[in-house]
Amino acid sequence: MSNDPSNIRNLDRTIHEPTRLMIMSQLYVVESADFLFLQNQLKMTPGNLSSHLTKLEDAGYVEIVKEFIDRKPHTALRVTKKGKQAFKDYRKNLKQIFNGTQK
Amino acid sequence: MNNVNLKEIEKRTFVSYHQDGLIDIFIGTYILLFAAAILVNDILDLSTWFIIPAIFPALMVPIWIALKKRITIPRIGYVKFKATGANKLTIIFIGTLVMGVFTFFLFAFASTQSWALELRTIITQNGMLFIGLGAFIISSLFGYTIGLKRLYGYGLLALALFGLLQFIVFPFEYILLAIGLAIITCGVSLLTRFVKKYPISSGE
Repeated sequence: MSNDPSNIRNLDRTIHEPTRLMIMSQLYVVESADFLFLQNQLKMTPGNLSSHLTKLEDAGYVEIVKEFIDRKPHTALRVTKKGKQAFKDYRKNLKQIFNGTQK
Repeated sequence: MNNVNLKEIEKRTFVSYHQDGLIDIFIGTYILLFAAAILVNDILDLSTWFIIPAIFPALMVPIWIALKKRITIPRIGYVKFKATGANKLTIIFIGTLVMGVFTFFLFAFASTQSWALELRTIITQNGMLFIGLGAFIISSLFGYTIGLKRLYGYGLLALALFGLLQFIVFPFEYILLAIGLAIITCGVSLLTRFVKKYPISSGE
């Protein structure tokens, strides 16, 4: 992607949506986090968070990891390799676009 | 969005996970135990009491994990941090230990050298100030790395109280006791606020 501002159309729309960008940023900086932690950290309702996570999961950017902590089932969320790459590309592209519009 | 923002998010996440005050209670207890060991040694001449603060860090880990599972995770959820954050803390911790050992040997070496006599005198005469400065630098380093700003406050408190010992005659262990109690009080108040702010979730 060159630094032509019209390239904004090519931005990854799955990540570009503000709420999903918040979720991706939060999960990107940690190894994994559970639903409750994300909900508290991002101040979101369970329904809203769930619907955005489903979209990110469908895109293959976030995966749900089922594990046991003290013999209790626990669900953690983490960014996949594909998700990490998509997030890096998104940041790079956005930076290029803004550099292109700089005077 | 740039790297700085991601670093901020990482720090905010860490601060959020440690808003329960448990870290403060543990730091305060450690200082308190150390002060108690000095007191017991002074009063009863029992140096074996020093074993308690010495083994405390090893005992602390399982207790810490158990309390996090019982108090923090049911309220705000679970987060697993990347190894890089833990690595930074390990580097600071090991760096502090190495610096401490190096300073000790440097001081011991300086004691045997006539040219270093003046330097040794300066350090001895201002010992409490150096201890206070050391405590401030170490707590500030930890505070900066993990984003817990209150650690700067604890460092300043130690610097102020140890600095005061330069001018007034007061037992060292009572100053340690005061610092430990102040940090525990802060931790307990944070824990109380945390428990009230986040009632137990009935979720997963």
